[in-house]
Amino acid sequence: MKKVADSKRISKKDIAKLLGEWNRELNVFVPRRDEGVATWAKWDGKDASFLNWYRNTVVPPKAIFLPPMEEMFSFHKDGNGYHLELPASDEPKKLIFSIRPCDAKGLAIVTMPFSDAYEDPYYLVKRNGGVLVGLGCINPCDSCFCTSLDGGPTDLANVDLMLTDIGDNFLMEAITDKGKALIDKTSLVEAVTEADEARAKDVKETTYAKVIRKIATEGIKEKLLSGFDNKDYWEKIAAKCISCGICTFLCPTCYCFDINDELVKKQGCRFRSWDSCAFPIYTKMPMENPRVEKWRRLRQKVCHKYEFYPMNFDVIACTGCGRCIRLCPVNWDITQVLTSLPTETKVKTEKS
Amino acid sequence: MKDMEMEQKLRNEAKALLEQGKVDCIIGFEPGSLKFTTTPLITRDKGDIERLVIGPFIVNNLAVFLTELEGRIGIVAKGCDSRSIVSLIQDNKVVREDVVIIGVPCPGLIDVSKIETLLGRDRDELDEIAREGDKVIATVDGKRNEFPVTETLFDNCLGCELPTPQEYDILLGEPTSPVAGKSASQAKIDQLKEATPQQRWEFWEEQFSRCIKCYACRNVCPACFCQRCFVDESEPQWLLPVPRWQENLMFQVIRNIHVAGRCTDCGECERACPVNIPLRSLTREMYDIVDEFFHYKAGTDKEASPFLASYDTTDAEDFIR
Repeated sequence: MKKVADSKRISKKDIAKLLGEWNRELNVFVPRRDEGVATWAKWDGKDASFLNWYRNTVVPPKAIFLPPMEEMFSFHKDGNGYHLELPASDEPKKLIFSIRPCDAKGLAIVTMPFSDAYEDPYYLVKRNGGVLVGLGCINPCDSCFCTSLDGGPTDLANVDLMLTDIGDNFLMEAITDKGKALIDKTSLVEAVTEADEARAKDVKETTYAKVIRKIATEGIKEKLLSGFDNKDYWEKIAAKCISCGICTFLCPTCYCFDINDELVKKQGCRFRSWDSCAFPIYTKMPMENPRVEKWRRLRQKVCHKYEFYPMNFDVIACTGCGRCIRLCPVNWDITQVLTSLPTETKVKTEKS
Repeated sequence: MKDMEMEQKLRNEAKALLEQGKVDCIIGFEPGSLKFTTTPLITRDKGDIERLVIGPFIVNNLAVFLTELEGRIGIVAKGCDSRSIVSLIQDNKVVREDVVIIGVPCPGLIDVSKIETLLGRDRDELDEIAREGDKVIATVDGKRNEFPVTETLFDNCLGCELPTPQEYDILLGEPTSPVAGKSASQAKIDQLKEATPQQRWEFWEEQFSRCIKCYACRNVCPACFCQRCFVDESEPQWLLPVPRWQENLMFQVIRNIHVAGRCTDCGECERACPVNIPLRSLTREMYDIVDEFFHYKAGTDKEASPFLASYDTTDAEDFIR
């Protein structure tokens, strides 16, 4: 059980003040609407009105730690040959304020391959310097299905500090030392009452019940394994996919990137930028993409999340955030696909 | 004819086409998995036909699937979609005899994002959305809200000249007239036209700074039928494949030139964009330029040479002679 000592409450009216305090040492990021598109941006120093409209962002907070495009190094050539320079890395540590539990879990999932056999310095420096302040959902979307994936709208497993909406106040629960330090630093917080705790418990239970979209994850890995060669199934499932990058780019767990050099005269930069297994030119750089037909590419996406990731990291690489359903131009719905996976093995295999 | 009657006729016709072997495959719409959405239904199975629907949310331009499917195809097409099919026929990407066009006279589609903005609520928080003549009724928290179509249909639907398919094999219902919404349709574009070149440049810099290069705009577009897009070329690499605003803008400018005379203003590029870049402000302007200077409207004459592949010795510019 969590000790009450680790919990405080703060008035919603004081959130802007609190962010102001944190913003002195950390670079605070909050949701912002940019031409109607909810995304993450540096806090402007005053506005906390996002709390009135924010459900989740279109662009996931993954983009803060794994930017759509980033410079890896620059280079130039002179009489002594080529010289490399690393980009300046003096950016202040980032605090992501009001990250949703699904997206916090997404970051935990992205961190796995980046800290596996090879440690990716670009991602890890940013991620390890970051502080996640979670905000539990009270109004999940109809596309959300986090509760089917060991998560939930108020899940506090992957954040440093968790906020729960209890009316005029937020309950603040410190989950890590980083989170505790945030509470300790401020005098804006008050002690939590038993009524606050009861209210928070009630909010959590009510919100869990509001997540109505469900999938059964049990046995999915095995079904995908046995149905891998079921070409007819995958072809049918993939028919309406247009092979764009929306569902992968905006997925909180997808992390594929491409690397390109820009060379102008004798100097240039190496960039990495988001890549997607949906694209026909994915993995084109060594030779060819072995997944010429789109059903193979789509199968890769599904299997990577629900079969290969569990094999490699013991977790499904999907947090049920629902972006891929909400944002898909053709309403390709992964929950329908996972629900309709064939149970019998080898109907008509690719090879037959 | 009401949507329900059109739907029944559609199902009967589609089923007959499959049963009589006149087509191998049907492309239409079925209910989407979220409120106020539909999703493409591509099927060779007549058991699926009962799922076909028509209505104010049939947003996709299904012509985009024609070039990747084999056999004879029955396809549901609104006015703009039928023009895209004709354009593909002109470009020899589709053989006329291999498609059965099931035309839908289209009174304009409801842009749910406009209703979200008007009501300050998200799609899934709305109870009901319905079209009633020149009004759209949106119910939220049990309260009925009436909006004129000029505020609630897609911009491209408001500027649609040919809502009834001109090229079809089966027409569901009676021809319908264009919505009187030209000025609402042009509002964003007119605003840009009034701006100075510097202001326009800054506007597009800001817009394309949001672009994540997902290529949904290209991939939903039936006019973007290249086997390999120029941005996917690596030898030579025409554009660095990074989502930097300059590259994003160049991609879109070149795409716009490539689809000139093919773009039927179906609005799919703008609708598909997950970061709300007003792409139609580029494509519709190009559509009007092609119309004004070359008297050419995409996909209105299947016998005509494709716009970008034709010239005339009487052309005003002498470089072409």
